[in-house]
Order: sequence, then C-alpha cells, then structure tokens
Amino acid sequence: MSGFLGTAALLLAPGVPLALGVLWGVPRLRRHIGPLAPWAAAPALLLALLGTPGETVELSWLLFGGYLGLTETTRVFLFFTALIWFAAGIHGRGHLAEGDHCERFCVFWLFTLAGNIGLIVALDVALFYTSFALMTFAAYGLIVHDQNETAQRAGRVYLVLAVLGEALILMGLLLAARATAAPLLPMLAELPQAIAGAPERDLIIASLWLGFGVKAGLPLLHFSLPLAYGAAPVPVAAALAGAMIKAGLLGWLVTLPLGFVGLQHWGTIIILTGLFAAFAAALIGVNQKQPRIVLAYSSISQMGLVSVGIGAWMVAPEQGPLLAVAITVFALHHSLAKAALFLGTEVVRHRTRRPVLWLWVGLGIPALALAGLMPSGLVAKASLKYGLLTDAPVPEVWSYLPLLLGLAAIGTTALMARHLWLLRLEAGRDDAQPTAWHGWALITAATVLGILLLPLWGIEVPWMAAVGGLPDALWPVAAGLVLAALAWRWLRPLPIPPADVLVLLTPLPGLALRAGQALGVTGPAVRRALRHLEAKALDRYRSADHRLGRFTEHLWRRDASLLFALLLAVVALIGIRIA
Amino acid sequence: MTWNALILFGVLATSLVASAVIFLLAESRHTTRSVFNLAAAVLKLLLVGWIVWGVYQNIDYEFRFTIIEGVDFILRADALGMMFVGLSSLLWLFTTIYAIGYLEKAPNRSRFFGFFSLCVASTVGIALAGNLFTFLLFYELLTLSTYPLVVHRGTRESLRAGQVYLYYTLGGGALLLFGVVALHVLVGDTEFVPGGVLSGLDPSLHPLLIGIFLMMIIGLGVKAALFPLHAWLPMAMVAPAPVSALLHAVAVVKAGAFGIARLVYDVYGIEFAFSLGLLGPLAVAASITIIYGSLRALAQDDLKKRLAFSTVSQVSYIILGISLFGPVGTLGGLVHLLHQGLMKITLFFCAGNYAETLGVHKISELDGAGQRMPATSVAFTLGAFGMIGIPPMAGFISKWYLGMGALQAEMNWVLGVLILSSLLNAAYFLPILYRIWFRRRQRLWCEGKVLGRFETSGWLLLPTLATAAFALVAGVLAGMPFSPLYWADLIVSREYLP
Repeated sequence: MSGFLGTAALLLAPGVPLALGVLWGVPRLRRHIGPLAPWAAAPALLLALLGTPGETVELSWLLFGGYLGLTETTRVFLFFTALIWFAAGIHGRGHLAEGDHCERFCVFWLFTLAGNIGLIVALDVALFYTSFALMTFAAYGLIVHDQNETAQRAGRVYLVLAVLGEALILMGLLLAARATAAPLLPMLAELPQAIAGAPERDLIIASLWLGFGVKAGLPLLHFSLPLAYGAAPVPVAAALAGAMIKAGLLGWLVTLPLGFVGLQHWGTIIILTGLFAAFAAALIGVNQKQPRIVLAYSSISQMGLVSVGIGAWMVAPEQGPLLAVAITVFALHHSLAKAALFLGTEVVRHRTRRPVLWLWVGLGIPALALAGLMPSGLVAKASLKYGLLTDAPVPEVWSYLPLLLGLAAIGTTALMARHLWLLRLEAGRDDAQPTAWHGWALITAATVLGILLLPLWGIEVPWMAAVGGLPDALWPVAAGLVLAALAWRWLRPLPIPPADVLVLLTPLPGLALRAGQALGVTGPAVRRALRHLEAKALDRYRSADHRLGRFTEHLWRRDASLLFALLLAVVALIGIRIA
Repeated sequence: MTWNALILFGVLATSLVASAVIFLLAESRHTTRSVFNLAAAVLKLLLVGWIVWGVYQNIDYEFRFTIIEGVDFILRADALGMMFVGLSSLLWLFTTIYAIGYLEKAPNRSRFFGFFSLCVASTVGIALAGNLFTFLLFYELLTLSTYPLVVHRGTRESLRAGQVYLYYTLGGGALLLFGVVALHVLVGDTEFVPGGVLSGLDPSLHPLLIGIFLMMIIGLGVKAALFPLHAWLPMAMVAPAPVSALLHAVAVVKAGAFGIARLVYDVYGIEFAFSLGLLGPLAVAASITIIYGSLRALAQDDLKKRLAFSTVSQVSYIILGISLFGPVGTLGGLVHLLHQGLMKITLFFCAGNYAETLGVHKISELDGAGQRMPATSVAFTLGAFGMIGIPPMAGFISKWYLGMGALQAEMNWVLGVLILSSLLNAAYFLPILYRIWFRRRQRLWCEGKVLGRFETSGWLLLPTLATAAFALVAGVLAGMPFSPLYWADLIVSREYLP
C-alpha cells in the first residue's frame, strides 16, 4: 500500500474508532454504533497487514504537529493489537450491543481502542502521550463495568497507579524532549539518543521505566493487573492482557536509550527486576484460585522475561538487532496466546454441542505455546536465548541467564497447568452463546500461525536456533508438569490474595477483616466500620483544612484594608529612604 | 481621529453603551434587554475579530487624548492585549446567553446586566490600556463594577463576601496606585513597551525599583488570588453562577494575572526583571499558591468552592509561566491565560447547571448525575481533564510548555511542582467524575421546573457545550493558525525579538 491508500490507512486506523466514539454522542446514531464497534479495529488490522513501514503522514494542525507512520517493529505491535481487539470485539458483541450499560461500555471500548492504536502509529511524542492517556483513562470505564465491589476496588487501584504512571511518563518525556533538537516538537525516534546524552539521564530512564512499568506490570506497580483482569468483563481482560500491557513494552522500546553504551547498571537492574518478576509472579500465581488471576500473574511473569531482553540490550548494545527481533517475536507470541487464554475462560463456561475434545485442544494450544512447545513459543524463547549469546564483556549474572530462563519456563508450565485445572472446574457453567466461539477460534488460530507472518515482513526469525533449542525447551515443561502433578496430589494453595503484597501496603482492611472473623463479626459489619473510619479520616482532613482556612484567611479577612495600609506605609518608608 | 482609533474605541464603547442603555431600561423589558445585550456582544466580537486580523498584520490601532499635561488616556491594541480582549469578548457572549437563561424571572435583572456589561467594559479597558494610568483607571472600575454582582443576591452571606471583596481589592488597588505614582515620578507617563521602559534607569535606583515591583505585585496579586491574598475568591463564590464563571475565567482573576504580565513584560521588561532577581521569588510565590490551592480544593465538598480553590491554584500557572525566564515559559503562561479561562468557565457553567436543574450544590450529592444530564457531564469531564492536564485538552498544552519553559530556564524544581499539582488535580477532580458517571443516583433531585426539551434549559446548555468544545479544540488543534498557542507564540516573538 502506498501513496493515497497508505495515507488513508494510517488516518483511518485510529480515526475510525475515534470517529465512532464521537458519533456515539449523537443519541439517534447510538444504537447503530454498538453492532459496528467490533469492526472498529478492522482498519488497523488492514494497515498492519498491507501497510508499508517508512510511510508517514503529517498533521501539522494536530497538537504541536502530529506525525503518523509505521516502523518494522510497530507494524508487528499493530498487527497483534488490532487482531486482539477485533477478536475480543467479536467475542464481546453481547457487551457492546446489548446488556446492562452496553452503550456506556461501547463508548469506552471505542476510545480505549482508538488510544491503543494511536499510540502505536504515533511518531511524535505529543500524539503518543495523548493516545496513551486516552487509552489509560478510557480503559477505567471498561474495568469497572460490572459495578460490583471487586470491580470498584480494581478500578480504584488501577486509576491511582495509572495517574502515577502518567505523571512519571510526562516527567520523563519532558526531560527527554528538552535534550532533543526541537524540544517543542520532539519525535519519538529522537528520544533514545537524546536521553543517552542528557545530564539527567538516570532520572529520565527511571521515570520512563517505572511510568511505562505500571502498564507492563513491573513488580510493586503490578497490583492493578490481577485485580483488573479478574474484575473486568472477559473481552476487556483479553484486550488488557493481550494488547494494552504491550503498550507499556512499546513505551520502553521506543523511548529508552537502547543500543547506547554505558548503561550497564541500568541493564543489570532491569534484568534482575525482570527475573524477580518472572519467578515471584509464578510462585504467587500458582496459589491463585481464579483462572483469570492465574493468567494475570502469568502475564507479569512473562513481561519479566521480556524485560530481561530489554535489560540485556542495555548491557550489550551490540546484540541490539538480535534482541529487537527476540522482543518483537516474544511480544507477538505472548499477546496472542494470552488473549486466546482469556477468551477461552469464557468459552469453556458455555455448554455446547461441539465435541469436548476439540474445545480442550483449543484451550491447550495457547497454554502449550506459553510453556514453549508450540512454534511461536519455541521461537520466542529460542530467539531470546540466541540474542543473549555474546562475546562482549558482560556482568556475571549473564552466564546464568539461559539456565534461569529455563527455570522460569518451569514456572510458566506450572501456571498453565494450574490454569487449565481451574478451568476444568468451571466448564459448562453457563448457557450456550454461539458468537463467543468465533473470536476465540480466530485468536487461537493466530497463536499458531501468526509467527509465519514475520518473515513476510522482513523480520529474520531464527528458525534454526528454535529447532536446535527444542531439547532445551522440553525439560522445563516436563519438570513443570511433574511439579504440577505433585502439587495436585500433595499440596494445597497458600491463601495469597489477588493483589499479593498490596494488602501489606494497605494493611488495615485485611487486618480488620481477620480480627473480625476471630471475634465472630461478619464481613459486611467490618466493612461498614471501615467505611466509617474512612469518613472520619476525611472529616479530620476537612477540619484541618477549616482551621488552616481560618488561620490564613480570617486573620487577613478582618483587617485586610488595615494591613494593606500598613504595608503601604512600610514600603513607602523604604522607598523614601532609598530615594 | 482615524478609522482605526474609532474601531478600537468601538470595542470599548459597545459594552459601555450597552451598560448605559440597560440601566435605563425598565425591569420588565426582558426581551429588549436580551436582544440588546446579545447584539452588543456579537458586535463587539466582530470588531475584535477585525482588530485581531489587523494586529496580526502589524497595523497600529491607537486611541489617545491628553487629560492633563503628562497624563494621557491611551488605548492601544497589541498582541498581548488582543489576546485578553479576544478571551473576554468571546466569553462575554457565552456568559450573557447563560445569564439570560440563569436569571430568568429573577428580580433586579436590569441592575445585574448593567453592571455585567460595565464589568466587561472594564476588562476590555484593562486589556487595551496603553499606559499604567489607563490600566489603573479600568482596574479600579472593575472592582467597583463587580461588587454589585458579587452581592447581587443580597443575602447576608453575599453581603459579607462583598465586604471582604472590597477590603481586599481596594487595599490592593491602593498599593497599585502607589506603585503607579512612584513609577510616574521616576520615568513620567509609563507607556507599555515590549522590553520595558525602566532598564535605562540609574543602578542606584534599582533597590527602589525592586520595592515598587513588590508593592505592585501585591496590589495585582490580590486580584490574581496569590497566596496569601486569595481569601476573597472562595468567599465570592456565593455570587450567581454566571458571575462566578466570569470572575474566575475572565474578569477579576485574569485582570490580576494580565496586570502582572504587563508589569513584567512591558513595564520592567522580562530581561530587566530577571537581572533584578525578581522572577525567582515570583516563581516561588506562584508555586506555593499552586500547591496550596490544590490542597485546599481537596477538602471542599461544595462544588463551587472546590472550583474556586482550583482557580486559586490554576491562575498561578499563568504567573508561574510569566516568572520563567525564556520564551517557552512565557508562552506557557500566556497560553494558559486563555486555556484556563475556557476550561474554568465550562466548569462553572456546569456547576450552575447542576444547581439550577437538580438543585445539587455538593459533590457528595452528584451521584449518578451523568445519567440524568449527560451533555453537561461530558462538558464537566472535558473541563476537569483539562485542569488535570490530560491530553488532548488545552490544559495539557499549557502544562507541556510550562514544564519545558521551566527546564529551559534551569528551574527543574518547577517540574516537580507541576507534576505534584497534576496529581492533586487528579485527586480532586477524578472522584467527582466517578460520582457523576459510575455511582447510582442516591437521592431524589428536586426537579420541579420543566426546563425545555434538553436536559436543562437550552440557554444554559448551549454556552456550556460551546466553551467545552473550545477547550477541547484549543488543545487538539493547537497547531492551527489563530489557535491560542499560535497567538501566544506571536506575542512571544514580538516580546523577545523587538
């Protein structure tokens, strides 16, 4: 696609969902937009499949001047993002066109989608940040859609972290933009080099790493993931876990100074954090009791593995090209597989006349892919290990990385086993809803076949390394399965709450509930008491505010004119003195 | 007298004449008054548009006559002044429409609209003033013409607020007067010139100039609600909604901020002010006000009061921008003069709509209002997002330029203030949005009156939606010619490259 068509495709990809979202404001059109909403991702999908990297569109009137375009990497991100939104949209047709508050759901859906597509095709910082913010804030409406207590808590945690993340990103972007040639119209592509040379380099890297880390589920910023994935409607969870989490990764990829020397310490920090996330999330995840929360921890764990790639890129810049491929492949593979797993959690609940065997084969495919036994998973893991092979001087931890990645795969296998086990308990709970099949089937097929598109797009996938890595991929899966079997026979899950250490950061509700249980007081009563306490704290703040007001205002209020007269006299005296 | 001078005078005269005629009209002549009011507002907007185009092409518009030897009355259209005139004429039109709907069947409308027009005339006078004397004249006229608006309801509370308002503003005015006189003694008639008129004075006078600056900043800071001179502003929110809207967005607080801009850019000159070391303390004062206002806003349950403290905080963004030495910071401050006006007037219109339609004044009573009044709530949401600085709203453009200006002025700590303020803004605006959109309605609203076929009276709804749309478009289309950003850029290029 080139010329006029290419320009139109770049504009329509984010433009169609945005326009549909805006048109939703016209009450008469509203009921026609619901059925169209699943198709809003189609232009983006077409762009990803047929677009040419390198083509750009300039919109000088937009913000500080907007630029749209595709690169080799963002085309892959656009592909899986659009495909997941499309499949999730088809799956969630019920939410979009009928049901409680479906109209509200629909408008949030369209805006979140528009933001997610927009941030991928944006080439300038302002448009990227705008799209990112649009996605972040619109997604809140999707997460709290069910309006129950879990959803509200998830929404609150999500929003607090999201606002913090946005602030950190803004700070990082401003500081980074200042170091570019044109600080008022910075392009994303200029940022890495500018950051590498900026005097506040460490501060910028820290704010961007943490800011985007809120989306990408960095440890201690990850709380919203398990809560939101568990509470949001399933299609939303699929979009969150498949597409939006990768917006954080893309943020890292396009802004962090990857491929520049002298960032060993940051690389090491990112690698270690990634490994920690990979193992800790697996350990916490296998103790969870809801399939979707298990999947959330699996996402945190997988994002940890991807950040090992990011960190390695910083430590060994010369490995950049290989690692870039590895991260892209990994992102594609994990997104599609995770979206398929999420949609599967709802498919399995529907009683159907189809052979059960095929259902379970379908459910097993993405699980196997994540564990590393399907082509996509195999290639993803192998290319990451391949990218780590370097002759350059590297920190000591480096030599253990392949082994650690293998051990992490044990965790992934165990998580997937746990997930399928929990899923079995939920099978056939609800009545059939035929449309739910199509989206899930589409994305499951893409999990298997999506990887084949990469060579067409000029990305050199290390197939040979993948074949050679097969033995390496087998033992962790075998070990994971053995572990899972042992655990199923002899171990009981530990009672770890869905947002793990968040309870330690906000200990009061948990402690109160526990104490209440011990004293024989019911949960609702304890919650009422807590709400009362909260109201009291607010009252405290209000009365402190009132006192502050009295102090600063009444003092002046009564004698303001006198005071000004006094000031006048003093200043006049000083003036006369000096003159 | 040339045509250009007449047109310039016409901008001022439209609202002055409107004011006089409205005072003379009988209370019952509702339709005549409305038609006249709207006609004057539209005419003024057209004249302003004409002059804006002329100023863009560097045509001089000046109206001057000598009062006594050495003291001139000067009106002059420059880029900075036209920015403020443009804002006030545009918002005057919308506020007039809103006020007609809001005060339907209320008593004393003649008095209200008369002073309302007078208030706009003073604002335009402040914007067009070509020297300190003319500026002071209209600055004081503004005080006197807004007092009747603040106490319009005549309740005990509003009379009390009016009294405090007068104490503050007259006190501040006295300080300003003293400063104007002192400068007059030093350099004669102080005309506004880009780059300032004081830098040539003898260095031995510099301490005196610092003293005068301080005094005038205090005088202007009262209207701009700089901490700790802000106390009148939250009290004055007892006024009717259109008055609050005008007070917070255009008239009073903006007159203070605009005065500070004139003082820094066109009297002292930014480079001279910087060399005297005046900008640093001003930035600190503005930063304290920003944080203080946000912290206080957080505690308020009364919607208008929360918005009032938010104004205290947001107006200081403008002053912060002025105090950042460098073109980008200036740009951020000046563009926020327009952006804050558009966003805040939207929010006050919305608060008025909720109060008039649902009888809701408190935030805790807003649960589920989005279901009942979706259009107003969308406008409120846009305004609130703008205040937080979430793109693509206008507030984001301001924040980006202020942040970049701070970095280029080597004042990195200001970035921390901006980020903290954004977080606080999110903390006091997002819970309101949550209540409006996601909570179920808790109580019965007192919906006695039927207000037309929309969710509320069309007179109230249309201006709200229009200003919200402007606040959105000012951000999204910031790169277009004649956007606020574009115009601010023009001012800056004329200030820094004389």
